[in-house]
Amino acid sequence: MSLAIPNGLDNSVEQPGQRAPLVLGDTTYHDITESVCQVAERKPSTSWVIGFLVSFALLQWLTVCILYLIYTGVGVWGNRAPIFWGWPIVNFVFWVGIGHAGTLISAILFLFRQEWRTSINRAAEAMTIFAVACAGTFPGIHVGRAWLAYWLAPYPSLNLWMWPQFRSPLLWDVFAVSTYGTVSLLFWYMGMVPDLATFRDRSKNKFRRMAYGILSLGWSGSSRHWMRYEKAYALLAAFAAPLVLSVHTIVSFDFAVSQVPGWHTTIFPPYFVAGAIFSGFAMVLTLMIPARKMLGLEKLITIRHLDNMCKIILATGSIVGLAYGTEFFIAWYGQVQEEKFAFLNRAFGPYWWAYWTMISCNVISPQLFWIKKFRTTPWIIVIISIFVNIGMWFERFVIVITSLSRDYLPSAWAYFSPTWVDWSMLIGSFGLFFTLFLLFCRLMPVINMAETKSTLAKQYHMSHSDEH
Amino acid sequence: MSDNNEKKVHGIVAEYESVDSLLNACRRVRDAGYKKTDAYTPFPVHGIDKALGIKPTVLPWIVLGCGLTGTVTALVMQIWMNSIDYPYIISGKPYISLPAFIPVAFELTVLFSSFGAFFGMWALNGLPRFSNPLFTDPRFDRVTDDRFFLYVDASDESYDEKAVREIYEQTGGEHINSVLDDDSSDKIPKPIFMAWGLVIAASVIPLLIVLKMRVTNSDQPRFHIFYDMDFSPAKDAQQGSTLFADGRAMRPDVPGTVARGDSNYDMNFMTGVDMDKLSAIDAPRAERLVRLSNGPIGPQDQDSTPAAEEGEQAANDSDSASGEAAKDTTPWLTSNPLGNSKEVLLQGEKYFGIYCSVCHGMNGGGNGLVNRRAQKILSPTWIPPSSLHQESLYSDQYPDGKLFSTISNGIRKMPGYAAQIKAEDRWAIVAYVRALQLSRNASIDLIPQSQRAEILEMQEAVQQKLLEEAEAEQQTQEAAAQE
Repeated sequence: MSLAIPNGLDNSVEQPGQRAPLVLGDTTYHDITESVCQVAERKPSTSWVIGFLVSFALLQWLTVCILYLIYTGVGVWGNRAPIFWGWPIVNFVFWVGIGHAGTLISAILFLFRQEWRTSINRAAEAMTIFAVACAGTFPGIHVGRAWLAYWLAPYPSLNLWMWPQFRSPLLWDVFAVSTYGTVSLLFWYMGMVPDLATFRDRSKNKFRRMAYGILSLGWSGSSRHWMRYEKAYALLAAFAAPLVLSVHTIVSFDFAVSQVPGWHTTIFPPYFVAGAIFSGFAMVLTLMIPARKMLGLEKLITIRHLDNMCKIILATGSIVGLAYGTEFFIAWYGQVQEEKFAFLNRAFGPYWWAYWTMISCNVISPQLFWIKKFRTTPWIIVIISIFVNIGMWFERFVIVITSLSRDYLPSAWAYFSPTWVDWSMLIGSFGLFFTLFLLFCRLMPVINMAETKSTLAKQYHMSHSDEH
Repeated sequence: MSDNNEKKVHGIVAEYESVDSLLNACRRVRDAGYKKTDAYTPFPVHGIDKALGIKPTVLPWIVLGCGLTGTVTALVMQIWMNSIDYPYIISGKPYISLPAFIPVAFELTVLFSSFGAFFGMWALNGLPRFSNPLFTDPRFDRVTDDRFFLYVDASDESYDEKAVREIYEQTGGEHINSVLDDDSSDKIPKPIFMAWGLVIAASVIPLLIVLKMRVTNSDQPRFHIFYDMDFSPAKDAQQGSTLFADGRAMRPDVPGTVARGDSNYDMNFMTGVDMDKLSAIDAPRAERLVRLSNGPIGPQDQDSTPAAEEGEQAANDSDSASGEAAKDTTPWLTSNPLGNSKEVLLQGEKYFGIYCSVCHGMNGGGNGLVNRRAQKILSPTWIPPSSLHQESLYSDQYPDGKLFSTISNGIRKMPGYAAQIKAEDRWAIVAYVRALQLSRNASIDLIPQSQRAEILEMQEAVQQKLLEEAEAEQQTQEAAAQE
């Protein structure tokens, strides 16, 4: 059966009175199944194998560094008085930020009925979970005695005889990030069950069939099941939407509730959330554009999808730029000497290079997306997205390091220099991220087949009603 | 059906090619009065619940219940842990400071609701279910690809196989088949079951070891993974050390260190002794006094007497021989270098009140609070503090410099106060003690002519009052005795 949709490969052109198609070409339901399943069913390509080996090696290096850190102590990092947060916290905030796009695409775009999310949400959700895993690593080892990190949990302790302090943003953070990780995982897995059932039903060998059979929980596609499933999905989306906003808000409280100049500002929550979405979308694009090419998914992840994501990057990038300006304005308008100093020091102090890297990557580079040509040319998008990722890492560096290095006690002022362990852990965390992501590409359905098919059904229905 | 007598028939299933034909068939089946029906589709088909007559789900209510449980759990947990069981005072906020508890309450509400939606949905759907008779049909594998299936259960009240087949055929259903019992085993293969059991057993072992360690006693010393975290190599104040020649862990201040605000190099002022005269009489002693009062003890002072001891020695010597004043040859300063202006006396009063009066009493009579308490509990080791009004302590027998030295270095049970009171304030105390002594020996001639009458009047009034008080006391005592 064929559902012919007459259009070319460029669906980014607006056609008045008509919704642009989100699945291109002469595509059938079975074509969708085929094109998604072949990614996992065929033999791994050379580029996948090389990519996996490199990532896996980096992951092992991260493991070695963590063991070295635990065995030796936190002195192996560049964290010195007064910069006790250093790179581990920069990396934590960076990764948590990356982890925001997935749930945003899955939940908020779902609630707003943005159907173009269907072919990108699965990979974005996976990215979220892997980014949260990377993020969770850093505070866990930053506590110093990593084997006592469970003290953060409110359990009746036999050797402390006390409870966690619930008025501390750092504890809220524990709850926020772990809730976010858990809910994202449930959301991701639940969305994947019907597609895992597809994998099960296509499996040729017994082991594969059994493994996917267990993972898909005996899904049969029953209408009653689908009805409850959709209800549960909508409810999860409704919870995940405020959750995704709350997580980076609470991460920003770690800074804003303290008294450090440059941190103690009310603009932090919205500014952090915008920055998180900004960096998350940049990371989705950085991964998705090479992936769609390598996995042959151009008909499902179309230019229109990329165009839409670039528009979100442009919007959030402008919000972030506005936030930088507002911070400076308030520092001057507030007339608090320490605040004024903190911001002038950011831009013109010893870390000026970090600040201006941040401004050029985060404020200037996304503005190129006003030009449509840039939004629809994949390689340009990849380059700009990588710049945004770099800029967002530097934003966290600027916030954490410059403020701490110039606190209220001038005799303690210091200049932060990272050690080889700091560098290794930053690079190693990318190893963890890519290892998980590449495994996901091989073993799991990278595109939500069921939802894409229902988008196709609507498209088919529409093109037929046009004929009447 | 007839050719499959030995197997139980669950129902009958047909395959459809498109959503529209499926929806049409659903409506037909519903209108024919079948209740136990279901459609199987590769993606959620909208409108099928109406076409099949499926009732809405109760899931949202379950989720609401879970969400409320989450909110209440979070609030009760935080209030109980931080306000009742182990109250924390943070920034002077009330114990139950709701705004600070909202973030965690929000997170747990979301977490519990999500668990409700996730697990509730699977439970309502009866999943996981790993054995399903529908899966025996190999064509049914396409339900997750591109085919749509309609199923009528054999246990339906109005089940009639022929009628159902007819509807299927009329609506374009293909491959109409009976769904037979799944005769393959739905048991988990033994090796997998064993492996799973082993994994669970192995994961419990570390926990059991930890638990056992917690509840049993051991005569072995504790195992220290990170020795220097449990035993800091830093030394305590009074510990010995092999690192330094003097064997002490605590390092003395660098010679010449001066305490903040204590940079007076006038040795007469700092010691109460006329140093020029002393060096003429006893040069070595003068040198030592200078060295000791000029800074802490350096290595060169190892064998010499510390400053306090030196001063005390001198005072004790002179005191024990107070009858033979001639023996004390120390050239004490005989006048207070601060003079006795009103400011000095007020300053002296203040520091006397803080440091001296607890033992010597506010009037210097030697009956301060500490002394009264010691007398009351009959402390056997207590040596009563001296009254400052003895003639032997008047300035002609006990020069100002000597009084200063006694305050600084102590005498008998009295400790030296050099470490607590600045030299300037010690001299002010000396001035105030002299004023106290004068107050008991002053003649009326010292009062200006204009104020004498007033003073005499006051004296009479005071004497009168004292007399009355004495009489009143006597009367109450007599009354008590009579009873």
